[in-house]
Amino acid sequence: MFNTLQLPSGHITHCGARFVNRFLAPSLFLLFLLGLMIFSGIVLAEGTVPNAVPPVGTHNGDDVEQPIEFPHNTHADVNKINCMYCHTYARRSKVAGIPPTSKCMGCHSVIATDKPRIKKLTEYWENKEPPPWRKVHDVPDYVHFTHEKHLKRFVFDNEGMEVENVSEVCAFCHGEVKKMTVAHKVKPLTMGFCRRCHEANKGPFDCWKCHK
Amino acid sequence: MSLSNILEDWSKYRKTREDGGFHDYEHMWGMAIDLNKCIGCNACSVACYAENNLAVVGREKFSKGQGMHWMRIERYWDEPDLGEGRVSEFNQHGANFLPMNCQQCNAATCEPVCPVAATYHTPDGLNAQVYNRCIGSRYCSNNCPYRLRFFNFYSYYEDSWPAPLEMQLNPDLSVRDKGVMEKCTFCVQRIRTAKDKAKMENRQVQDGEAMTACAQTCPTSAIVFGDLLKHFNPDADVVETQVTNMWRTHQVELGRSSQNKQNPELRGYRVFEGLNTDPCIMFLERVREV
Repeated sequence: MFNTLQLPSGHITHCGARFVNRFLAPSLFLLFLLGLMIFSGIVLAEGTVPNAVPPVGTHNGDDVEQPIEFPHNTHADVNKINCMYCHTYARRSKVAGIPPTSKCMGCHSVIATDKPRIKKLTEYWENKEPPPWRKVHDVPDYVHFTHEKHLKRFVFDNEGMEVENVSEVCAFCHGEVKKMTVAHKVKPLTMGFCRRCHEANKGPFDCWKCHK
Repeated sequence: MSLSNILEDWSKYRKTREDGGFHDYEHMWGMAIDLNKCIGCNACSVACYAENNLAVVGREKFSKGQGMHWMRIERYWDEPDLGEGRVSEFNQHGANFLPMNCQQCNAATCEPVCPVAATYHTPDGLNAQVYNRCIGSRYCSNNCPYRLRFFNFYSYYEDSWPAPLEMQLNPDLSVRDKGVMEKCTFCVQRIRTAKDKAKMENRQVQDGEAMTACAQTCPTSAIVFGDLLKHFNPDADVVETQVTNMWRTHQVELGRSSQNKQNPELRGYRVFEGLNTDPCIMFLERVREV
């Protein structure tokens, strides 16, 4: 479409047209996507999480290859399984945790046993070795972050908040995982990202609260 | 946060010093060390090495004064000689020990000199060191009258914990890299855990819940650690602790440059009080003629 633009002829314009084609169009499209993501994130979160200002910021993380392409959307969106059913340590400790294979097998010894991914899972289960899951969201070692306190503030101590909607709170930092298959990092999780949210929600503001 | 906030906090204490100067503190962590109980066994120092991922620098660097011991035992002798060339028959007797860790001064001399505000005062009354912000100017160390700040001259972590030993590192603490100043933190990771736990259960931090490694290890319980805020601010919504009781019994107050020593029962003093640094560690020792 940009080729039809009226441009002066010559070497430089040739480059210019190419520049427009190669960089501007995809970046415009990306910007549009970014805006859409921010917009939808805010609207969704404001609709269901009371007394909270969601953090602002997006980040396009690298794909993380997992041993089994775990479809989050099938579990959390289609079948409406609560995030904390599998990530059970989120409300009790610093880390949300990855469920043991026994938790997967609790359902998948009877459900969808003929699917290739489940067959792979059963193989791991019968060999008595855990699938080597890889971490997607990781903060540096010098950061102290507790899931339990954030869940207490935004879910359990939050008036008018339904525990069924906990995924909206998770989405603050993890993005809409229930729309993804394999989890993908979409939030920056940088200090500025944390700080802006702490500012908006009146969280603690002391260096030693988070840095260790 | 940032620089302006830190400078504000600093000046706030200076302004309100006569009235205590910490009325909006959440806690004020302090210590009482009974020197009559201290036997100089160095267990506190060892515990600190284990708890805080302190680097082991080796004999050569230690002799250059580059040791990384956040808790050290200073040793003084009572009667080295009796004068007139005579040496006491018991010249190996009469050692006095002084455990020294960061005094967590309220008017800390290290804080205002840091060019990047890497050291500042927390609302807990702690003298904090932010490793990520530190640029290694060593100005704070030079300004500390107690010499209780330690600088990473080398990447000690490379040699300190050979192969399987890195498994013993405490994950609640970062391992410091070259060019960073470090010092006693009053085991802030333990304080943080205790506060988190208390908050999750909607209650106050109990006495003895937050305990430093040195206080926990001390075989004679010479070191007592706890929240001091009740002593200086009776209206504060914190529990009365053992250390508060000790400070009150010995009538040690902040904002003084010397303590009342007229009554022999009052043994409390703080190191270098005349410098008006207002340390949070009280030592107990009777004044006597030597």
